[in-house]
Amino acid sequence: MAKALKINPRDNVAVVLADVSPGEEIVVTTDDTVVRIEARQAIASGHKIALMDLGNDQPIIKYGEEIGRAQGEIGAGDWVHLHNLTCRRGHEKPA
Amino acid sequence: MKTFEGYRRSQGLPGIRNTVAVIPSVFCANTVARRIAEHVAGAIAFCHPVGCSQVGLDLELTARGLKGIGRHPNFYGAVVVGLGCERFRARELAESIASAGKPVEMLVIQEEGDTLKAIEKGIDYASRLVEEAAMQRREDFPLSDFCLGLKCGGTDATSGLAANPALGWVTDRIVAAGGRAIFTEVTELIGAEQILAGRARTPEAARDILVTIDNMEKRLSKATAGTDIQHRSALISPGNEEGGVTSVVEKALGGIYKAGTGPIQGVVAYGQYPDTPGLYLLDCVGHDGEAVTGLVASGCQAVVFTTGRGTPTGFPGVPVIKITGNSETYGKMKFNLDFNAGPIMAGAPIAEVGAGLLEKVLRIASGEPSRAELLGHDELFCITRI
Repeated sequence: MAKALKINPRDNVAVVLADVSPGEEIVVTTDDTVVRIEARQAIASGHKIALMDLGNDQPIIKYGEEIGRAQGEIGAGDWVHLHNLTCRRGHEKPA
Repeated sequence: MKTFEGYRRSQGLPGIRNTVAVIPSVFCANTVARRIAEHVAGAIAFCHPVGCSQVGLDLELTARGLKGIGRHPNFYGAVVVGLGCERFRARELAESIASAGKPVEMLVIQEEGDTLKAIEKGIDYASRLVEEAAMQRREDFPLSDFCLGLKCGGTDATSGLAANPALGWVTDRIVAAGGRAIFTEVTELIGAEQILAGRARTPEAARDILVTIDNMEKRLSKATAGTDIQHRSALISPGNEEGGVTSVVEKALGGIYKAGTGPIQGVVAYGQYPDTPGLYLLDCVGHDGEAVTGLVASGCQAVVFTTGRGTPTGFPGVPVIKITGNSETYGKMKFNLDFNAGPIMAGAPIAEVGAGLLEKVLRIASGEPSRAELLGHDELFCITRI
């Protein structure tokens, strides 16, 4: 069974520690808790999985901090990457 | 108490290598400098594309960078090679190196006559300095005499989870022992500014950190504006993205683990050596070559470079120690990597892996060659421009 790491208790994404297939159950560990979640897509090792449903523009939290915003609806178990996370830092703010 | 074996210098921290730098003050002197170094084992040429037709801060950064390299403790002394008509004068460089207490020789091609005469004189200078250097023996020095550069490149998801935390453990030990550590890559600190400012030792240091990162973010915003270059606006590399890093903020939050958990003493400018112990932020971009050159030009005797994807690069005369948090990368690129922090991904304690890394760093400081040195990698010398 594949494992994922939730780095900070505030995080709403975890890092998968091995390649996972759609439908695979993943054990997510933090310092004090263990939860299980089903991957909805294939996710490569080192990439992020959503731990809960996230609405459009909702902050995505890793290391306990916002790393970007959801672009569109993200479901629990979804792969989170460039296709559904945007970050405007370091770019011209949209007018 | 932890110690390392280094070479005593008349001023400043000890060196951990003992070579002679041959430094052109302008690119027009590159071939002469290179041929001098080719003839003298133990001499290293620092060829670069700058030194003339520059103005203002751009020329000043060139001057500070080359001076910072010239006075670096890993070099016994230096031979400065000028052309004669350049804007960054050989004399200014040579005098700056001499004022740091180093043996220095200077030659100017237009005064010597031609390439052949200049090379002949340069070989004479460089070999005499190498002979003097060879008379020195290593001595024991405490960790408080160490200044470590911190860098990452080819980042993947393991960098923020394993390699950077292991390096952060080492950083904390060196700083606690009264040594120095410097981190940089300001282009990749965006989003971590409040955390870093919160770790500043003084309100002035906090303000300097915020201003430094804000200035860099403005520079990047300007550089990525314009609809015709939107395909060039990514702030992280395709390799970072393939490795699971999605945004510059995510990279920053994983990257700052390198700098440990202790207070930040302040910000150092490009080419400036920190004058008191502690942890510092160097104002320089994240480009591997420019950042490592900046760390060397601020006096770091060695650089620990974390890499999830794996990179072979090195710096002439200064060990660049490669560590990965990715055991697969370690297996694949073994000859380019000095240390595997990958066991952290499988549950090994950070303190245990960190202690192993500190031992490795001190062995390399004391003379064991890094992988990049063994393989002759020297591509990281790269003067920053603006």
